[in-house]
Amino acid sequence: MASKTLVLPGGTISPDILPNPTNPNLLLKLGPGLRHVPPSTITSTVAGLLCIDQKKNAIWVENNSGRYIPQPNDLIIATVHHSSTDFYSCSITPHTTFAQLPQLAFEGATKKTRPQLNSGSLIYARVLTASKHTDPEIVCYNPSTGKSEGMGELKGGMVFNISMGMARRLLMAKQREDGGIAVLEEIAEKVAFEVAVGRNGKVWVKSGGVKETLLVGRALQEADVQGLGVEEQVRLVRKMIRQV
Amino acid sequence: MPREAEPSINERAFVLQALEENIRLDGRALDAFRDIDISFGDDYGVADVQLGKTRVLTRISASIAAPYPDRKFDGVFTIATELSPLASPAFEVGRQSDLETHLSRILETTLRRSQAISTESLCLVAGQKVWSLRADIHILSHCGNLVTAASLATLAALRQYRIPDTSIKGGELTVYTPLERDPVPLALLHHPLCITLNYFENGEKMIVDATLQEQQCSEGEVVVAANPQGEVCLVQKGGGGEVDALVLLRAVDVAVGKVRELGKVVDRALEKDSKMRDKGGISAELSAENER
Repeated sequence: MASKTLVLPGGTISPDILPNPTNPNLLLKLGPGLRHVPPSTITSTVAGLLCIDQKKNAIWVENNSGRYIPQPNDLIIATVHHSSTDFYSCSITPHTTFAQLPQLAFEGATKKTRPQLNSGSLIYARVLTASKHTDPEIVCYNPSTGKSEGMGELKGGMVFNISMGMARRLLMAKQREDGGIAVLEEIAEKVAFEVAVGRNGKVWVKSGGVKETLLVGRALQEADVQGLGVEEQVRLVRKMIRQV
Repeated sequence: MPREAEPSINERAFVLQALEENIRLDGRALDAFRDIDISFGDDYGVADVQLGKTRVLTRISASIAAPYPDRKFDGVFTIATELSPLASPAFEVGRQSDLETHLSRILETTLRRSQAISTESLCLVAGQKVWSLRADIHILSHCGNLVTAASLATLAALRQYRIPDTSIKGGELTVYTPLERDPVPLALLHHPLCITLNYFENGEKMIVDATLQEQQCSEGEVVVAANPQGEVCLVQKGGGGEVDALVLLRAVDVAVGKVRELGKVVDRALEKDSKMRDKGGISAELSAENER
């Protein structure tokens, strides 16, 4: 279980709070927002919550930053911009270069059965490689199993923008306990909907009608902007459902 | 390379579907504005307007210059727009975009060509010295309807601006500092504002104050500038699908109503600002007494 402390940019991380792994050969892993100054100082470069994972011997800083930078294994919602012979060029955010999506990177795709995506189609994909010097590469299937696992083209529905912190919380395994988000669970009791969360600060929602879709999207945005806790989120959702 | 975020097919379809059912994504009515917040700076002539997430700041400044040789009795009034990359990924530094030209031309027509500012009142010594008034419009955040936000900011700044007092004695021009003489308000003949209407379904449906997303999904837009007295200063429809003449007439009607509404918002903001600046006359200002 991860424990959390608040850190500020430039602050040194005291060696006392570093994780103590049972296996002494396991190296300490530094995640985003931290910098190693040799020989043994660790400073934070951003303000946020310092998260420590004892089991994996990893520490990182979680903060609600504004701009998405692609990282391998992130699930993202991208828009197809144009297609070339082998790749679709997809826009993850307007600020980054186009990501390359190979036309065969779909479940069961062959030269003859590959999906045809038009410019402007939405896709749910996983970042395969991302580095400072090359365009990110994204795929719509899990290369180890060959299954789509929910990725692929998103049909219908609507995309809503949320903050990156919110997107990360929504993607946690235990939304209510770890992420402190009860919006989706609350709405799901009354309204049926589909949802896909992109780490790039986008959430795709599809439901029966316009009103229901908007309900989910707006509830998420409200909870995000106002920084609501679990109790307040439940109250907000009940109020919004009553209005619909 | 940064570029404008184009809406995807899904988003476009959803926005249009919602509008068909008379629903806007932020829950507004079709003819409702987003929240408007007008604030002024410490100096005169700085207005910061927030229209939802769109934010525009205008600064008015004045300097003394020589008039144009063919217009000896007219002062100079220039509008400069600045679309910085911080407002939207589509804006680049040092390249004049179409949007920038569009914006400054509309504002120029609205304010100068409609004689809202009488340039003659800016003349100091005929043929030699005039006030050169400059409005710098900075777009700080672009989330749709820049035209209305910029026109609100510019009008509010012009109405709040105070120009240094001057006098001419024996052909000699004296410009007074604020300490010597209180600066004077500009001579504005009327107060025009611009309203943007975006239309959908061949002009059947009109919405006011479109967000960037709605703007991108719309078939076209009509800009109407008018003053609260109901006098139309400009109707502009650049590009977009064709609309019926009656639709345009209806658009003008709606816009005039909205201008009155916005005019009152500016009035209220100016009143609040002047109350805050008014310390109760010179005696109160010079008094050393303070509240304990």
